Formats: sequence, structure tokens, C-alpha cells
Amino acid sequence: MTENQLTTELAERRVRFQVDESVYDLDVIMGSAYLFLDRCYVFLDRVGDRRVQVVLRTRGAASEEELGALAGQFANELLNQALRKQIGEANGRLREYIMARALFSADGPSTIDRLLAELDAEEMASDDLDIPVPWEKPPGA
Amino acid sequence: MLTPLQVDPRAFAKDKVGYFRYGVVDGKVLMTNLVGEHLFVEPDDFRRFLAGQVERAEPLYEALRRRYFVKDDMAVDELAEKLRRKKAFLRHGPHLHAIVTTLRCNHACRYCHASRTDMDAVDTDMSLDTARKVVDFAFTTPTPLLGFEFQGGEPTANWPVIEFVVDYALEKNRYEHKELLLSLVSNLTLMTDEKMRWLVDKGVMVCTSLDGPADLHDKNRGWMEKQSSHAVVTAWMDKFNAEWVRRGFDADLFHVDALMTTTRYSLDRGPEIVDEYVRRGIRSIHLRPLNPFGFAVNTWKQIGYSMDEFLAFYKTTLDYILELNRRGVFIQERLASIFLTKMLTPDDPNYSDCRSPCGSGSAQLAYSYDGTIYTDDEGRMAAHMGNDFFKLGHVDTSSVDEVLRHPTVKALAVASIQEALPACHSCVFSSTCGVQPLHNYMFDGDIFGQRPLSRKCQEFYGVQAYLYHLLSNDTDGSVQRIFRRWTIQRSRPGTTPYAPAAEVSS
Repeated sequence: MTENQLTTELAERRVRFQVDESVYDLDVIMGSAYLFLDRCYVFLDRVGDRRVQVVLRTRGAASEEELGALAGQFANELLNQALRKQIGEANGRLREYIMARALFSADGPSTIDRLLAELDAEEMASDDLDIPVPWEKPPGA
Repeated sequence: MLTPLQVDPRAFAKDKVGYFRYGVVDGKVLMTNLVGEHLFVEPDDFRRFLAGQVERAEPLYEALRRRYFVKDDMAVDELAEKLRRKKAFLRHGPHLHAIVTTLRCNHACRYCHASRTDMDAVDTDMSLDTARKVVDFAFTTPTPLLGFEFQGGEPTANWPVIEFVVDYALEKNRYEHKELLLSLVSNLTLMTDEKMRWLVDKGVMVCTSLDGPADLHDKNRGWMEKQSSHAVVTAWMDKFNAEWVRRGFDADLFHVDALMTTTRYSLDRGPEIVDEYVRRGIRSIHLRPLNPFGFAVNTWKQIGYSMDEFLAFYKTTLDYILELNRRGVFIQERLASIFLTKMLTPDDPNYSDCRSPCGSGSAQLAYSYDGTIYTDDEGRMAAHMGNDFFKLGHVDTSSVDEVLRHPTVKALAVASIQEALPACHSCVFSSTCGVQPLHNYMFDGDIFGQRPLSRKCQEFYGVQAYLYHLLSNDTDGSVQRIFRRWTIQRSRPGTTPYAPAAEVSS
């Protein structure tokens, strides 16, 4: 689906369009479709080589304008899902390393805990938010 | 859940952009990291960051770097240690052990989840022998913090079991040295002066149900007697509170806590409900939506509502609570404080229903009156409705190891690890949210459920979106000031019985 190819077909409570898999991966298409489950029924079908047909059928009555907006929102969400996939893939190994280090390294005193405690102590010492005062006490109590 | 933001995935600097999740709040882009820290940026700045065009000399660069968003300038090990602290709850076993002493109850609340029976059904009382096995079993769980919570039915209808469990647990803990917490969830209508003094002597904390002013409370919580449930409950709350004060305890920590459940009758009465809590000296109110299971399945048409209606109620009431705080009346909203602790502090409050993975079977266990062990109290209710899926064993025959490694516990963990769930894995609130598979199961018959259709997802998303909305519009810092105070939870003194501030003979 490129800008020139967002061709929609409207019918009663239904909008239909196609997405080009060479532009958007199938998991991006499905990830976008998933987010529409609370507002419409979603049908996906492969209608040609690397072409996925999307049919959105609203739960109640909808005007042509509303149906067109639904397709537009889907198209925008495709872009955001594609970006999220890129962010995930570009950082996959880094995330695995961070998770493994956080969860599976040996137990012991955490240097960050010590640092955070020191920072907390420093901030509390000059804290104009009265954070050390228990929240249920009025300031100055 | 959709993202109303124009982005161009082609302009993505993969060597400069670290991992983050994003969404849009009030026209600004909200970015969150793996440990719940956040940053608001303008859409144009967001797009510049994605394209690798934010220069080191810009203040924005440092703001992004400090939250681990800059891939080629990231303190990776520091982030890992923060994540380790945030997920500290994974290193402990079940700390909450709910004991159903009986299913008997003298109330017939419109929304009851507890699978109650009539007061003459004594065959649903727990025996002392079973109670002893429950305590023995709980003490073998690998947790330094051990909490027993008496539930029902109305738990005080089987008072001898409460007495036995408390005394036996205290005696056993002389050798086990765990941090022991004891609490009673009761409608207080069977309370006596003698029982009250005994509970205070033993350091048992009390939590009751209070749905608001008298007419609202009594409408929701039908009692077999002709008296007002509200009058009896509030009278006992006042007596307990006075007793703790008389013995020299800090009233801010030692008072009867209460839970409220929102019905259709509550929706336009938020401020009145809050005022009722303030009058009773309660400093925390949890605005809990109704769950359409238990009795509520049958009464849903009468007392139910949409999640949009609940969220409107929540926002109005939270605004009122904030206004009270600005005027020096200190009361917090509990769900907000849970999320704010995740958002604004290095810690996670370990709230079983809102963590990843969830705490069913791993942070809490429930023991039915007959000694059957369930993942939690909702799991027990599911069994009462005819489905044993959440049964983990029995105190007569099961070991702790068998229970904690039960396939159901593993399945519930898998179904609630947000990094692996559709929609959750990329949701901007993922690192501060949680999934409760049992709710999914109750609603959809499927522990995974579908996020956009889940009432719990709509609730958690709506509440967090509103909290970030308030933070993003907090021009004078007054909201942040109040919110940060809500994240400070003073715990009551540890192992019971508690040492009072000043000894007063009881």
C-alpha cells in the first residue's frame, strides 16, 4: 500500500483495502489489525502475491466518512507498527543482554541500589517537595 | 491504543536509537523505558531523535541519554541493575496466603464474588486440623515475608480457626523468624469487644468493606438483619481506631482499612464516597470497578456499567482527591499510587494483579475451607463456579515445590509476561502495567484474552493515560508534589505482635 494505492471500497458498515507485503511485513499488518478489535470486526485474506486484503466491519452503523477515517487510522497505525518493529529489531540483542544481566546474574549487593540510596539521601536533604514527610501528614507536621 | 502520530519508518537511525516504547498524550510524545522512567517530547523533536539528528550539545540529548534512549551512549549495566531492582519481586515466593475460614456469610451483597453460603451451612467451615496444615504449608514457602489474610464468606463466622491460626503462626514464627503479617477481611457485623481486644493484642490488622455514605453502602451490601450495615461497620471502625490510639499506636498506620466497590449507584457520588473515607480516618481509597463474576453476573444489568462510565467516575473522583490534598486533607487513591510508584520510583509495589508476570500462584495462594490450594482467591471462585483449572493441590497431599512448579502457575506466568503479549509488548505503559490472566479467563474463557477487549486493560490503560495527562499539564509542579508523596508507603512494624509507641494496659 503506497500513498497512491490506498484504494478503499466502502459498503454498509464495511471498508476494504489491500496492503502490500513488500512494504509492510505480515506481523506489522497483524499487529495493526489487533489494535482494531475493540472497534470493529477484522478480516484478513491473502488475495495475491504479497498482497493482503483487510476488511474492517464496524459493530454498529457507520457513515462513509467514518469508514474512510477507519481505513486512514489503520494506515497510520501500519507506520507506527513498522517503526516499533524496527526499534525492537535494532535493539533485540541489547535487550536480551540487559534482561539476562538483570535476572540471572548472581545475587549480591547492587551497586545501583547503593547509588540510588545515596542520591535519595542527597535529594531528601534539600528537598522542597517535603518527600521525607509521610504523605498522610501535612507538611511541617 | 492507536497512536495518532505521523512517523516515517524510513528515517530511522538504528545505530543511535535505543529501545523505548511510545504513545501520544495531549499532543506530546510520551517515551518510556524498560524500568518505567518517562520523558515527554514534542513530535518534531521525536522525529529528529528517530532520524539521529539530536545533537549532543542540546539539552534534549542529555534528557534522552539519562533515560537510556540513546543507543550509542547508554549505561547498559546501570539499566540492567535498575531492572533487577524493579523486578525484585521475582526473587521471592508467595507472600500472601488467603485463608477461607468458611463460606458462611450473613450478608448478600449485590456484587459478591466470594461464593457465599447461608449461615447454617457449617459444612463449609475449615477444621482446626486443616488450619494447622495450612499454616505448616505456608511456612515452608521460600519467602522472608509471610502474610496470612482471613477471608470468607464472613471469616469471623468461624472464629476458632482465626484464633488457632494466629496463635499457631505466632508460636511457629518464634523459630522461623519470618516477617509475619496477619490481617482480617471482615464485614465486622459479628465483632464483639472481646474479639476486638484479642485482635489488637495479637497485632491482627483489620480491613472491611465501605462503599460510601449509609444509603449507598446499605443499598449495595444487603444484610439479613434489619439494621443498617453501614451503622454497624462504621461503629466498629471507630471502636478499633480508638483502641489503637488508646494503646499508643500511630493512628496514621494503625486504623481499619476499607475497600470500596463501585456499582452503578456510585457513579455520580465519587466526592461523597471520598468524604466518607476521610471522616473515618482512612488515608487510602481504592476506587475498584465491579467485576462481572460471582453474584454480579446475575445483577450486572442492574448495577453494571461500561468501562467508559467507570473511567469518567474515576477521573472525577481523582480530581476531587487531588483538590482535597491541595487543601491539606491527605488521602490517596490506591491504584494511582501503585502506578505512580512504578512510574516515579526505582521500585515496584509488587501488587499481584498488576505486575509482569502476575502473582497468581507465585506471589499469593488461597486455601479453601477444605484445604484445597488455589492460585488466588479468584481461582477459588472459579472452582466454586465449576472450573477446577486454578486448583494447585491440597494441604494434605501437596508439597510447596509441587504447587509452585504446577503447570497452571507456569501457564499464568506465560500469559502475563508483557514482553510476549500482543499489544502489551509495544504499549507505552508496558513497563508500569500488568496483566491478570484470571480476569481474562473469567471474561473470555481464555487466560490470554484479547487486549483491546479486556476490561482490565481498558481500566489500567485509562487510569495511566489520565495520570500522565495530569503530569504533562502540571505547570506549577503541584500535581507531581502530591503524586510523589503518594509513592511513599510507610510499612507497619514487622513481626507481630507490634510494639506500641507507648504501653497502655488493655
